[in-house]
Amino acid sequence: MSSPATELTTATELTTATELTTGVRPGTPLTAAVSANAALELHGLTKAFKCGRGGRVVTAVNNVSLRIERGEVLALVGESGSGKSTVARLVARLETPTSGSVSVGGQAVPRRLGSAGLRALRRRVQMIFQDPYASLNALNTVGYTLSRPIRIHKLAPGREVGAQVSALLDRVGLSPGALWAARRPNELSGGQRQRVVIARALAARPELILADEPTSALDVSIRLDIMNLLLDLKDQEGLSMLFITHDLAGARYMADRVAVMYAGSVVEIGPAQEVIGNPQMPYTQLLRRAAPKFGEGTETQGAGAQDAGELPLRGEVPDLSKLPTGCAFEPRCPHATAACKVALPPLYELSPGHLVRCVLFDPARPGAR
Amino acid sequence: MSAAASAPRPRLAALGRRPLDALGSLMRRSPKAAAGIVILLVLSLMAISAPLWTSYDPTSLAFKSMLTPSRLHPLGTTFVGQDILSQLLYGARFTMLIGLLTGLIATLIGTAVGISAAYFGGRFDEIVNGIINVVLVLPGFPLLIVAAALLENAGDWAIIIVISLTGWAWGARVLRAQAMTLRRRDFIDAAVSTGEGPGRIIFREMLPNLSGIIAANFFGTALYGVLSESGLKFIGVGDVTQPSWGSMLYWAAGHTALLKGAWWWVMAPGLCIALLGTSFALLNFAIDEIANPKAANAGRLRAARRGKGRVLASQSAAQTLTRPNMKIQPPNPAALLSVRHLTAGYQTPQGPVRAVRNVSLDVMPGEFLGLAGESGCGKSTLAFAATRLLAEPGEVFSGQSVLEGVDLLTLSESELRRRRWKDYSMVFQASMNVLNPVLRVREQLYDAMQAHGVTDKAKLDARARELFGLVGIRESYLDVYPHQLSGGMKQRVVIAIALALEPKLVVLDEPTTALDVVVQRQILEEIQAVRRRLGIGIVMITHDLSLLTEMSDRIAIMYAGEIVEEAPSSVLQSAPLHPYTRRLMTAFPPLGGERTRREGIPGRPPSLALDLTGCPFAERCDSVMPICSLQKPVLSDLSPGHRVACFLHASPEQLTLAKPEVNHVLASD
Repeated sequence: MSSPATELTTATELTTATELTTGVRPGTPLTAAVSANAALELHGLTKAFKCGRGGRVVTAVNNVSLRIERGEVLALVGESGSGKSTVARLVARLETPTSGSVSVGGQAVPRRLGSAGLRALRRRVQMIFQDPYASLNALNTVGYTLSRPIRIHKLAPGREVGAQVSALLDRVGLSPGALWAARRPNELSGGQRQRVVIARALAARPELILADEPTSALDVSIRLDIMNLLLDLKDQEGLSMLFITHDLAGARYMADRVAVMYAGSVVEIGPAQEVIGNPQMPYTQLLRRAAPKFGEGTETQGAGAQDAGELPLRGEVPDLSKLPTGCAFEPRCPHATAACKVALPPLYELSPGHLVRCVLFDPARPGAR
Repeated sequence: MSAAASAPRPRLAALGRRPLDALGSLMRRSPKAAAGIVILLVLSLMAISAPLWTSYDPTSLAFKSMLTPSRLHPLGTTFVGQDILSQLLYGARFTMLIGLLTGLIATLIGTAVGISAAYFGGRFDEIVNGIINVVLVLPGFPLLIVAAALLENAGDWAIIIVISLTGWAWGARVLRAQAMTLRRRDFIDAAVSTGEGPGRIIFREMLPNLSGIIAANFFGTALYGVLSESGLKFIGVGDVTQPSWGSMLYWAAGHTALLKGAWWWVMAPGLCIALLGTSFALLNFAIDEIANPKAANAGRLRAARRGKGRVLASQSAAQTLTRPNMKIQPPNPAALLSVRHLTAGYQTPQGPVRAVRNVSLDVMPGEFLGLAGESGCGKSTLAFAATRLLAEPGEVFSGQSVLEGVDLLTLSESELRRRRWKDYSMVFQASMNVLNPVLRVREQLYDAMQAHGVTDKAKLDARARELFGLVGIRESYLDVYPHQLSGGMKQRVVIAIALALEPKLVVLDEPTTALDVVVQRQILEEIQAVRRRLGIGIVMITHDLSLLTEMSDRIAIMYAGEIVEEAPSSVLQSAPLHPYTRRLMTAFPPLGGERTRREGIPGRPPSLALDLTGCPFAERCDSVMPICSLQKPVLSDLSPGHRVACFLHASPEQLTLAKPEVNHVLASD
């Protein structure tokens, strides 16, 4: 077995949240991490929901630190309940973080935001929702829906709003825009609706797009079109993107880097090709094994794929209100040891920018990978 | 089915736009609304034009006591000598005004309270909800009596306010619940995340979507207002000298009108109150119908079906069968399930939609057949039709579906019930929802077996344990309720139920689409293991071709209601022939290899309501030829087990057969 991890002798245990998941090389001064270059930076972001009167606390997002460079696409991958959507909702302030910090474009977003502050944030960060059948108000015309961000953020004088709406629709492939603006969602197909949703996100001219499973409610035949549209727009507008998905292949197609979430924590992060082509965290390997093999050809390479053969497909995502003190994946993990139960391991860097939260990679551990 | 769903739906919001137009179209659409509006109009006209019908003052005591109806006094006179007709007409004014105002005020309060509680949530919602519940618990009418008695001298407005204040809570509660569901909808989150403020979200995004409930609430509270007013007056609370239907009843009862034979004195106001109530109730029903178009459509469909629908459908079916180069194939006796020339679809008010068009397909014993295609290609309709599960407005127009020598489509209902589940069973996409939440999982497993004659408790228990083992659930879960299980577990239970009687065929319609990847893989592996162990045939329908290629022995690709290619899984994967299959194969990104740009399939499938002359894929095909739009390619065997319907792969014979026609058409262009 010759994974890059085994060759890596300098794997260092990183403890600073910033360095953990940002891909910053060890030794880089911490201050450089909070640079104006980052489109999004999360530090120890945590969200705990209180459920019911019993005071049961569900930790949906647990101390997540991430960084998206300008013009970069970071895919956030995980199963339902892993907290990936909550991360996006926290950044968009549809939810308020319990703790941790969020910076957009190098500026910290205060925990308490007034309506002006919220509006300013929402001009810079826009969201694309999963189900275009649910995310458009059926009673409003496409034109009305798209005109709102322009009017709210006063991006054009009143008489130019119509022209801007048409231009937006043209840009997402619905031309002539003026014609589409007069329609209502029930006259559009799923793909066309999702284009409108994308146009709405672009209308505010944001820097950062949070795309929450933008293709999973769509038919297979149009998923690629929507992904291509997002990639094109990202290039043309210089956008940065958080692309949330449960589909590894889609993440690989879209993203420069991939972060894998399990039970609220980031468990593996690194360059897309590496994380998906050669997953190291046993959970990522499990995801990889569960994904349809189609299109890979017969020669599946990489240590991850080999390991995957032995991985038993057992268990389900844990109860977030009763998370174990150690690694949340431990009950399902074929490599679980006593050390896994002690504490949630930190992220260990395997190769530049590729980090894994797993004791198997603890350099202090005898026989570490 | 998407085709059926795209039928135009009446929009309640239209009500707000052009009130008169909307009223007209509402009355045309719904007889209930028409009746309700007519009654309401008549009663309102009575009230408004009272002076036209009677020249008497309702409070004048100028006449003789207790006159019987006559030309001068069509409804006689009261004990103190008032004209009853004029009292009825002028009384309508007061009673209906009370109804209108209390309806408006109570609805306004209820809507404002309900929606703001739902929108702001949290502590505010808790407090508001507490108040709503308290008001609901208080006995309304006694409270009303006390309050009205205290405010006896405060006038009509006091009564209106008191009635409104006791009547708003019901609406607030309904609206709060509805608005909370609405609040969780993505489009509200989307509006919030574009930066929209609370005012616009409540008034522009939420309120229009609640207009049906608000209107229904208005009629409900207006009726409550009318009844309360009448009730209060009847027992003598408030100003009973003010003519109203309630005070008429008060005086009539006080003077024992019925005992004295003056039934009209009681009947006239009573009937008017009842009519007003009926009209409000009818309007309420009509609103409900429009808000839930499904309920209303059913009736109209039945009408359409009685008319031309059936004829049209059978005609088009006949056309399919009589195409020149069409051979009628008998069912394959070696197959487990042999579908032949199956045409099925849906009756819509716009005419029949043929979602499955002359499909022939075999499933061999123990075979895993995959059925793939875009949504709306008819794959689910095919499965439902072939297993005779297609519910109204679905209908099988023609064809056969032969399971082990028996045509399921001609079986009697009782015979069908006997065979269903025992010979074949089905698992559907959202089938987790078929589990009964109040029954333990074990009982639901037993149900299927007991219905087919297994009654021995020990046997049932043993079989239940065995089934749970098969689908990979611990036996201890047999005694839990469905809500204690995760989505994946529930789907496993459903699969266990489908396997309970060891059917020879199991039809799986997107069984794992709603589940996570890992759970999906677990379940599919279990299905595969069970199939191998029991030798059952499986038909699995999904839009995810990548999954099918791994699971299936053979795959059929459907497009626009037809099978366009069918081949062994490995052949289809390595050498897909139909341009549609090829595009489907590259329509999702790969997990490995070079990262290159891929394209989806441009365009959309044609509407299944159309009858196409050419290849249905022609419009989206990049290898399209002139012949493709003129003639339908026939599904023909290229190699054993590999069938394709495409002129690129047509036999020379087929092309020559087609040529003269093509040349002819081309020449005439």
